[in-house]
Amino acid sequence: MKMFKKILIANRGEIAVRIIRACREMGISPVAVYSEADRAALHVALADEAVAIGPAPAVESYLDMDRIVRAVRETGAEAVHPGYGFLAENADFARCLEKEGIVFIGPRSEALELVGDKVRARQTMEKAGIPIIPGMKSVPSDAGEYIKAARALGFPVIVKASAGGGGKGMRVVTEEKGLGPALEAGRREAKSAFGDESVYLERYIEEPRHIEFQVLADNSGRTVHLFERECSIQRRHQKIVEETPSPALDDALRLKMGETAVKAMRAAGYNNAGTVEFLLDKDRNFYFLEVNARLQVEHPVTELVTGVDLVRRQILVAAGEPLALKQGDLRQRGHAIECRIYAEDPAANFLPSPGRILFLREPKGPGLRLDSGIYGGWDVPIYYDPILAKLVVWAENRELACRRMAAALDGFAVLGIHTTIDFLKDVIRHPEFRAGRTNTAFIPKYFDGWTRPPGEEGELPLALAAAAIDEMGRRTRPKGRPRAKEETAGPWQTLGRWRMGGAD
Amino acid sequence: MEFEFLVDGVSKKVTVEEKKGLFQIKQGDIEFEADVRRLSDNELTLVVGGRAHEVLIARDKDRKIVFVGGREYVLREPGEAAGRSWTDDHKGPGGGLKIKAPMPGKVIKVLVAEGEAVRKNQTLIIVEAMKMENEIKSSLDGSVKKIHVAAGELVDPERLLLELEAK
Repeated sequence: MKMFKKILIANRGEIAVRIIRACREMGISPVAVYSEADRAALHVALADEAVAIGPAPAVESYLDMDRIVRAVRETGAEAVHPGYGFLAENADFARCLEKEGIVFIGPRSEALELVGDKVRARQTMEKAGIPIIPGMKSVPSDAGEYIKAARALGFPVIVKASAGGGGKGMRVVTEEKGLGPALEAGRREAKSAFGDESVYLERYIEEPRHIEFQVLADNSGRTVHLFERECSIQRRHQKIVEETPSPALDDALRLKMGETAVKAMRAAGYNNAGTVEFLLDKDRNFYFLEVNARLQVEHPVTELVTGVDLVRRQILVAAGEPLALKQGDLRQRGHAIECRIYAEDPAANFLPSPGRILFLREPKGPGLRLDSGIYGGWDVPIYYDPILAKLVVWAENRELACRRMAAALDGFAVLGIHTTIDFLKDVIRHPEFRAGRTNTAFIPKYFDGWTRPPGEEGELPLALAAAAIDEMGRRTRPKGRPRAKEETAGPWQTLGRWRMGGAD
Repeated sequence: MEFEFLVDGVSKKVTVEEKKGLFQIKQGDIEFEADVRRLSDNELTLVVGGRAHEVLIARDKDRKIVFVGGREYVLREPGEAAGRSWTDDHKGPGGGLKIKAPMPGKVIKVLVAEGEAVRKNQTLIIVEAMKMENEIKSSLDGSVKKIHVAAGELVDPERLLLELEAK
C-alpha cells in the first residue's frame, strides 16, 4: 500500500478543518480550496496550500467540478476528500476523478449512484431482505397511481423526492384531498433542489426515532459497523443533537440492526465510510430509510465511543489498505453527545444569522471536543450552510454526558451573531430529553415558539455595571497609550453618545 | 459617572464611581461594590460580596454585547434611531410601512412592482441566506409605494427593501 503524500479537501468550514487535522497526523500535506468569500476562513489558514476556486456562490466554486479538478492537477494532490455536502455524494464527481486517476475518498461511483437514487436503493434493500418502509416501489408514470398507492398504504403518507435528502421535497399528507397539492409542491421543490422532479409515496411513520449505523468497508468488501447514533432531535428535518449509544436500543436490537446495516452495505457493493439510516417506530420495528454515502456531520460521537478515527480510516481504505478492524473487537464505551452550533436565531424560526463574530469564547474542560470552523473577528458568510461548530462531549454514562454538555454550552459564547447555543441548553435540560424519550417530533412538540429565557435576577445590573466600567475605561484611557487594532477602527471612543448625567 | 443603555428598548441607567480601586455601582434600587479586574480587552472579572463573576464584552457600532452567567445582554446606545431592532418595522403592530431585510442575504426575487396592490401576507420579496429562502410578506392590505432593491442585490439586515402604503 502506498500512502498519499498530498490530499485536497474539496470543502470548507469545520469539516475541512477536521480533515486537515487528520492529514497532519498522518504526515499527509493538506490542500485547501476556497471561494472569494472564504479567503479569511479558518480552513485556509490551517492548510499547507490553498487554491482559489472562484466566486462566493457555491455553484461557481465548491460545486464546480472542473475548477476542483484543476486545483488537484495544479497542486499534484493524489486524492480528494469531499467532506459532507457539496460534491460528497455526487457520482459524476467521483467518476470524473476516477477517470483522471485521482482517488476519491469515499465510495466507488457505482455504489454512490445506487444509494443516491432513493427508489433504486429501496428496491435493492428489499431484494436483500432488509425491512423498508411500506411504499411505492417505483416512480409512476400515471398520476392516478399515486391515489391508488396512498389508499393502499393508508393515510398519513409522505411525499418524497427520488433524488432526495435533507428534507427537500418532503410533504406529509393526512387526507386524500391534500395529495394533489402535496405532490405538486414536492415536485417543484425536488426539481429546484436536485434537478429531478420524481417523487414517490411512503407510509408516514409517526413520531419515530431516527437511528443510524456507522459502517466502514474496505475496497474488497470487508465490512464492519461501529454501532448506532440516535439523531431524533431535528428541526426542519435537520439534526441538531446526536448521541450514542441510543437510549432506545438494547443489546439484542442493536445486534440485529447492526447486522442489517452491514448486510445493506454489502448489497449495495459499498466501500469506505457510510451510514445506514433507519426509522424505529413505537413498537420497536425498524425500517431502512437511506444510505448516507459520506462522512456524516455527527461522526465525532462514534469516534469518542468506539475510539476509532473515522477520517483516518477513510484515508487508509481509499489508499487501498485492508480494513484491520474486526467486528468482534469493536465496543461502545461510555456515552457521547454532539450539539450543532448553527448561525441561526432559534427564537425567530431559525432565521439565518450570518455576520461578524465580535468575540468568541470556546468551552474547555475534561471530555470536551470542539470541531469548529470559526474564530473571533471572522465574518460568517451568507452563502453557505449555517453550521459553525460542533460541540461534542464524552462521559461515563448518558446522565453525566448531559451534565457535561449543559455546562459546556454555558461556557460557550459567540458574541455578535445569533446561534443555537441557548436553544440547545434548553433541549439538553428538558426532562423528556433527560429521560431519553426522544423522537423526531421532539422540537415541534416541546419547543414551538421557543424564546430565550430571561437571565438570573441580579445579572442585568452586573451586565450594566460591566458595560459602564468598560465605557468609562475607554473614555479615561490616557492619550498616547497604544490601542488594540479593533479599537482604532471602532467609533466608541470618539462617538461619546452615551448620555451623561449626574456630577462628573 | 452615569451611563444610560437601552435593553430591549427600555432605558436603564447605571452610576459608577471608582474609589480606591473599587467600583461603587448604583442601578435603580440596587447598590453594590465590585472589585474589578480586566483580563483582556474583552474579559473582566467582578467580585461582588465574595461572589466572582466572569463577564465578556464585545463592542459593535451602536451596541455592547455583555455575556454573564451564560446569558447575553444586548445594551444599545440611547438615541433617536438606535435601540430599535431591525425587525420592529415589519413585526410591530404600529409599523408596517417600511419593510426591511430580516437578515443579511441576497435578494433572489422581487415579486411585486411599484404601484401594485398587495394583500396582507402576500409574498413581496424573497431573500436568501445560508441556503434558506426567506419570504418577506406584506404586513397589510395596501399598495407598493417604492421598491429599493433589485434581484441579485446583497442586503444588510437594516436595509430598506420596500415601502408600502395602507389602503
